[in-house]
Amino acid sequence: MDGDGDGQSRWCLSQVKGAVDDDVAEADIISAVEFNHSGELLATGDRGGRIVIFQQEQESKNLPQCHAEYNVYSTFQSHEPEFDYLKSLEIEEKINKIRWLPQKNAAHFLLSTNDKTIKLWKISERDKRPEGYNLKEEDGRYRHPSSLTTLRVPVFQPMDLMVEASPRRVYANAHTYHINSISVNSDNETYLSADDLRVNLWHLDFTDRSFNIVDIKPANMEELTEVITASEFHPLQCNTFVYGSSKGSVRLCDMRASALCDQHSKLFEEPEDPSTRSFFSEIISSISDVKFSHSGRYMMTRDYLTLKIWDLHMESRPVEIYQVHGYLRSKLCSLYENDCIFDKFECCWGGDDSEVMTGSYNNFFRMFDRDAQRDATLEASWESGSPGLPLKTWRVCAGSRRKRNEIGVDCLDFSRKILYTSWHPQDNIVALATVNNLYIFQEKLN
Amino acid sequence: MLGKGVKRKLEQEEEDGVMKMEASHTCYWFQRQTVLNLSLLKLHTRPGHGEPDLARRVLITNTLRHIQDELRGEECVSRPQTPSSPVIKDSFSTALAEIEALCPTVGITALFSTSDQDVPDITSGTDSDNLGELRDPDPDLSEMHSIVDSSISLSDSAPFTSSHAPSSLADFSLDDFLFTEIDNFLFDSTPCSSSLSVSMVTDDLVKTLAGYGNGGTSQSALPSNQTFKLDLNELDHIMEVLVGS
Repeated sequence: MDGDGDGQSRWCLSQVKGAVDDDVAEADIISAVEFNHSGELLATGDRGGRIVIFQQEQESKNLPQCHAEYNVYSTFQSHEPEFDYLKSLEIEEKINKIRWLPQKNAAHFLLSTNDKTIKLWKISERDKRPEGYNLKEEDGRYRHPSSLTTLRVPVFQPMDLMVEASPRRVYANAHTYHINSISVNSDNETYLSADDLRVNLWHLDFTDRSFNIVDIKPANMEELTEVITASEFHPLQCNTFVYGSSKGSVRLCDMRASALCDQHSKLFEEPEDPSTRSFFSEIISSISDVKFSHSGRYMMTRDYLTLKIWDLHMESRPVEIYQVHGYLRSKLCSLYENDCIFDKFECCWGGDDSEVMTGSYNNFFRMFDRDAQRDATLEASWESGSPGLPLKTWRVCAGSRRKRNEIGVDCLDFSRKILYTSWHPQDNIVALATVNNLYIFQEKLN
Repeated sequence: MLGKGVKRKLEQEEEDGVMKMEASHTCYWFQRQTVLNLSLLKLHTRPGHGEPDLARRVLITNTLRHIQDELRGEECVSRPQTPSSPVIKDSFSTALAEIEALCPTVGITALFSTSDQDVPDITSGTDSDNLGELRDPDPDLSEMHSIVDSSISLSDSAPFTSSHAPSSLADFSLDDFLFTEIDNFLFDSTPCSSSLSVSMVTDDLVKTLAGYGNGGTSQSALPSNQTFKLDLNELDHIMEVLVGS
């Protein structure tokens, strides 16, 4: 399955955010992308520990034919670099994951995490300020009591919109190893955080305690052969969560069964195909991302070469397997040499679960239509055509290219990779990050 | 850049069946050797200022272990009497030679950082225990033991540990090559690290000392035992200069 027949997709480029320079500062490299639950806000995190939130342009939101236009709403420094004096090691400020909380009032809340510490941020707007104080001048100085002869009540006057981000909670010192996932529970009170060997459960209101719910650390570290790579709560059942491992298996756990969920309730594992066995079989089977469908009925896993859709009722094998970039199978040795084989790609579901997407190399990303059983390879680049024009689809061929929209596998640029992606919860708008640019694509509606 | 993969050759397909089998066997051996070299290199490369990625190290180690199991299986099948078959010796000698050439870093940090445990005791007493453990029937665990027990992963600047010095190459088992300190095989160094406060030695200092010991020529090769033969007084003096005491 390799590309549309007509060479054109329904997607078109809406916006590109970020600098155009070839020289990218390390701190500007985007490391997290996430829409909020309404799709109105889009948050990105970078290696410098900053978070930039974009807001959907209000007018364009109501006109589906218009481009999905997102503008900067708030920018703040979420995490700072730290130094672990005990181990003489730096703790990177790079944002690993961002997860939004469902909105309860006018303010927006999100969780952001680096390798060690999770923070709850409150983003609130201020567009009015009180003026006409009785006891204070406009500049804040207090008036002399003897000059007060009248009484007046301050009134709110409009001011320029100010968006403030303030840290409300800091959840620290609960992870010995690097945090790879956070997931907010459907109960809207708890969330989980997972590192290489443990999964912890937190209550949002309490920063001084967390409950360990999964611990796969062996008594002897010499016996360690498997680590946790991703974890997520079920979108509807607050007692259910999954975690994926470096050996390609996903375990579903029920927190009602026991306090420590080391015994899984379900184990999703596809038996290995002996004909494709290689030195790299285990590495390419490592789960880089796991995402539940919106319905909660299915689960999607991403490993190095494939996307797999699992029915939660069937553990023995996935119900659908999609090849992301199967042409890399013969290049695994080189990819091992240049470390690309360890790249962790994310994946995401479309709003109605009928489509899924994930990133690849050469700034390609892959769209899979589950219903129509079609897929497309699209490119995120400045030359993706003018906004509004449909993207052309690409095809990667083994030898040298023969047609216009083809590229030889040996010409792929492995330094340009799309690891982080997010799909608008309702509309067909996707956001993805190349090295330092944020791309927003919208489905073209005719 | 496609690395050391063997290029597809039209001639290969035209050869008769027997030669094709031999060719593919050589290809397999060659690729296994490449993966072995790469894995050793990746494990022994200094990770930088941050903490090494545990998931990556686990995956590389598992790959290495798989190759080791394969090689051990071939060894048992081909020549059960001799201590080690030439094929395997070649694999590891080649790997070691390449590591020596490519790896300027000194010493081996632990494969898995024991970050939430107490600092292991780095004395020669511990390592003499490891010597016994290396002859264990289960070499997999024992070699991991020797790494972890001589763990110095708390700091990148503690490259040396006490060594055990096997008398000759023939005494080594397969696992010694794979998992114990490579530079201790290549250089008959004295187990002096525990007596010096080597844990305070930084990378720069090591290179300085190596350069000092080699007559000022700066080399990024593994430091030789000449480094260790520096006078203790000179080391103290240098430390004083650095620390400013």
